[in-house]
Amino acid sequence: MIVLIAVALGVSLGLVLQPTVPLDLQPYLPIAVVAALDALFGGVRAWLEEIFDDRVFVVSFVANVLVASLIVYVGDKLGVGGQLSTSIVVVLGIRIFSNAAAIRRRVFRA
Amino acid sequence: MASTPPQGRQRADASMSLLVDLSVDALDPGYAAAAERKRAAGTDRRPRWVLVGATVAAATLVIAVAAVQTRASAPAAAKSRAALVAAVDRQSATVDRLERTIAELSAEQDKLRDASLASTGAGAALARRIAAAELVAGNLRVDGPGLRVTVADASSASGGSRVLDRQLQDVVNALWTAGAEAIAVNNQRLTAQSAIRQAGDAILVDFRPQVSPYVITAIGPAVDLETKFGASRTAERMRANSQLYGLRFDYARAGRLTLPAAPDATLRYARPAPAASPRGRS
Repeated sequence: MIVLIAVALGVSLGLVLQPTVPLDLQPYLPIAVVAALDALFGGVRAWLEEIFDDRVFVVSFVANVLVASLIVYVGDKLGVGGQLSTSIVVVLGIRIFSNAAAIRRRVFRA
Repeated sequence: MASTPPQGRQRADASMSLLVDLSVDALDPGYAAAAERKRAAGTDRRPRWVLVGATVAAATLVIAVAAVQTRASAPAAAKSRAALVAAVDRQSATVDRLERTIAELSAEQDKLRDASLASTGAGAALARRIAAAELVAGNLRVDGPGLRVTVADASSASGGSRVLDRQLQDVVNALWTAGAEAIAVNNQRLTAQSAIRQAGDAILVDFRPQVSPYVITAIGPAVDLETKFGASRTAERMRANSQLYGLRFDYARAGRLTLPAAPDATLRYARPAPAASPRGRS
């Protein structure tokens, strides 16, 4: 319940406030999105497998976003920012996909 | 494998375990570790929902912001692109208009020149020489029998191969060799100073972009032109290209072709260099 409220709150905050992301932070936005999706799917899967832990969830979300952004930042400084963001999207994308598959198996038993 | 692995069972694909690990350990191992700890401690406390809720809200906020940002910037990109296209079209139209003006003015100038030259005998002779020179230089509109060569990109169904600047150059040069007296590409007259070259996806003839199909019209003795051009190595190669890559290549005699005059070329004169000082160039 509280999770659904939080989702609604997050979406409506984003839509209502329409915050403009500073130009310097814009390269990190897609990475943050993928990291956030990864944390959310991981949390849902852990919940369904009844091993959900609030601390792991919060820390994994914050750490994922920070580490992913840091990697892209360092990559930008070294001139391989684009390639590194691609690698992060690939790695987290695979994780999201297999977590989604596990959720699907658990929910639909198929 | 000759020797058994030193310890335990080794996966056959151990050397490329990265992707396998990714999908096997998709769930953060932290969850399993935390569950293990809880079981060991024997406690089962309720999650702190406020913390979880705040994190979920933050995550969805990030996603929503990204979506809003993308939606906001997409029309802007399209708009600036449309503005650029419109500016290019406008400038092209201006260039066309100015070139028409130039053509009108130089035609008027030629008429005035001819009128003033015709008044004297020496002037008339000069006018004839000028007319002959202009004919050769491509500054006069000409008509006569000739050959019409059509070269076009392959259709996307047959591979979408494109005509290259080199092929157009070869065709034009083969036509000159076959005895053409005047040539135009897509109704743009070629002179001794013309250039056909590629810039990105477009072929530029004298710096004006042309699109497929390219119609090359050449005035000359039509039958002779057709025989010699058809027997040339360029035509042979183009026929092979058209069979291999589906490019269009055909030519036919035309009874009467009209080629426009080339725009007046800027004349450049060589001047003696200023006398060098004894110490050389300063």
